[in-house]
Amino acid sequence: MNAQEEEKPAPVLELDRVSKSFGGVRAAQEVSFSVASGHIHALIGPNGAGKTTLFNLITGIYPADDGSVLFEGRDVGRLEVYERVAAGIARTFQNVELFTGMSVLENVMVGLHVRTRCGFFGALAKWPWVRREEEQARGTALDWLKFVGLEKMAESQAGDLPFGWQRLVEIARALASRPRLLLLDEPAAGLNARETRDLGVLLRQIRTRGVTLLLVEHDMSLTMEISDRIVVLDQGRKIAEGTPREIQADEKVLAAYLGQGE
Amino acid sequence: MRVLANVIGYLLVGSAILAVGLWVDNYYYFQLLTFIGINTLLAVGLNMLMGYAGQISLGHAAFYGLGAYTTGILGVHLGWPPLVTLPCALLVSGLVAWLVGRPTLKLHGYYLGMGTLGVGMIVHVLFREWSSLTGGPSGLPGIPTLSLGPLEIPGGRPYMFVVWGVVLVSFAMCQRLVHSRVGRALRAIHFSEQAAAAVGVDTARAKLQVFVFAGVLAGLAGFLYAHMVTFVSPSSFGFLVSVRIVAMVVIGGMASIWGSLFGASLLTMLPEWLHVFSEYEVLVYGLILVVVMIFFPQGLTRGMLDLYERARRGKTGSGS
Repeated sequence: MNAQEEEKPAPVLELDRVSKSFGGVRAAQEVSFSVASGHIHALIGPNGAGKTTLFNLITGIYPADDGSVLFEGRDVGRLEVYERVAAGIARTFQNVELFTGMSVLENVMVGLHVRTRCGFFGALAKWPWVRREEEQARGTALDWLKFVGLEKMAESQAGDLPFGWQRLVEIARALASRPRLLLLDEPAAGLNARETRDLGVLLRQIRTRGVTLLLVEHDMSLTMEISDRIVVLDQGRKIAEGTPREIQADEKVLAAYLGQGE
Repeated sequence: MRVLANVIGYLLVGSAILAVGLWVDNYYYFQLLTFIGINTLLAVGLNMLMGYAGQISLGHAAFYGLGAYTTGILGVHLGWPPLVTLPCALLVSGLVAWLVGRPTLKLHGYYLGMGTLGVGMIVHVLFREWSSLTGGPSGLPGIPTLSLGPLEIPGGRPYMFVVWGVVLVSFAMCQRLVHSRVGRALRAIHFSEQAAAAVGVDTARAKLQVFVFAGVLAGLAGFLYAHMVTFVSPSSFGFLVSVRIVAMVVIGGMASIWGSLFGASLLTMLPEWLHVFSEYEVLVYGLILVVVMIFFPQGLTRGMLDLYERARRGKTGSGS
């Protein structure tokens, strides 16, 4: 752990005094932190602390009122959601948003959208390169399904899968866009103890593939076990940042959680 | 499996049309089948938009009418040949679709429905009131019959073949689209626009493309209509016609290319069969639509497949 700390890898994501208000509610107030390349970074905090707001600001669902979001040193604050995916930021949703009526394989193939080129006229003409690209996309999507252990379910309807598997398909779909930063919104929510343990293993495997991870998570044992660094939010403000050990000993963090009765 | 079913579909439709063309000698049937073909074009285009991308157009008759009137006006007033008016008709329909779709499709929700509703009304008023150009409420007569260069294609049998050729080609185009990167993106938008964007789909662009495509297909249908009837009038492109195209899509089955054929066939032939009810015709027509929707909420195609499945299971069940 210490050795990694000293190397100080370049940041993939930097938030600089990012703020966002909804009406009178200040959901994020001058939040700054950076996520180092190759790390697993966690955002924690009581309900309503602004974790999902930050996710939406990073992925571009809405723009920040103030402050900047830098991805690999480039300001992505003005980019649309899909442009940020093309730049290398992928995400999953808290409630799993699969395209339920499409097959599992097709879901992952939609994830390849930004890495494939066939347009409207290409699809109509079905040039040889379009066929090739389609075959390659199919193969790549199958590889990602294999990676999460669901290649046997490729032809099933996504909506028919049990919830835990749907979550894995969503992760495979996100990975298919070949992100360098993957945001996971409560990936362990709704999973049982065994699935959560498997998820921890999977997240580490994703990291070894060169993907930096930023997750919001309520499952403390998982978070403490896999995270390199943790940012703690409370009422839209960052109240602490550090290694899992430092966070566990931080009095402000304890107060925030106990104050909320968690 | 999918490919096989499609090949069978093309063969069935193609040979049915061929059979009618070869063994039947009745202008009325040729005309009815031509109308079914034109309506199928309208329905399949709208189905790409509604059934696959989940966006609704309540003014589809406007694009149909723009295609027909462009063909008519250029043909009658300027004497342009069909080979020149065809691209103009497609361009006008597509351009108007683009102008309506561009602002409304940037938004999520049913704004396209409102936008197209408005365009449908505006275009209809233009057809009726711009008399010097459109002939006003009494219509624009004297559109020449279809000719492609030296090749004359009069109404009746040859025209039916041409229209159905166009229908089958457009089916193939739609199927290619549906099973491509573009089609996957459209279906993804239907399930969740937010998730589609989060996966990297430029949702506004994808929706706009398919809307313009549907508009161009409607323009093509309008071109074929104008050359068949050789006369266009505003009443053929009013709000009720737009509703009827939506009904064809829903009755035939959303997100089903072959369903568009069923829906268009049923809704084109139904009024012909219902003449016997004279003044109660509209009532029976509405009643049939309601009944179909109650028993086959997923449309006729899905409904018939389900019935077939149930019958087969029932047979094997009683046998064991």
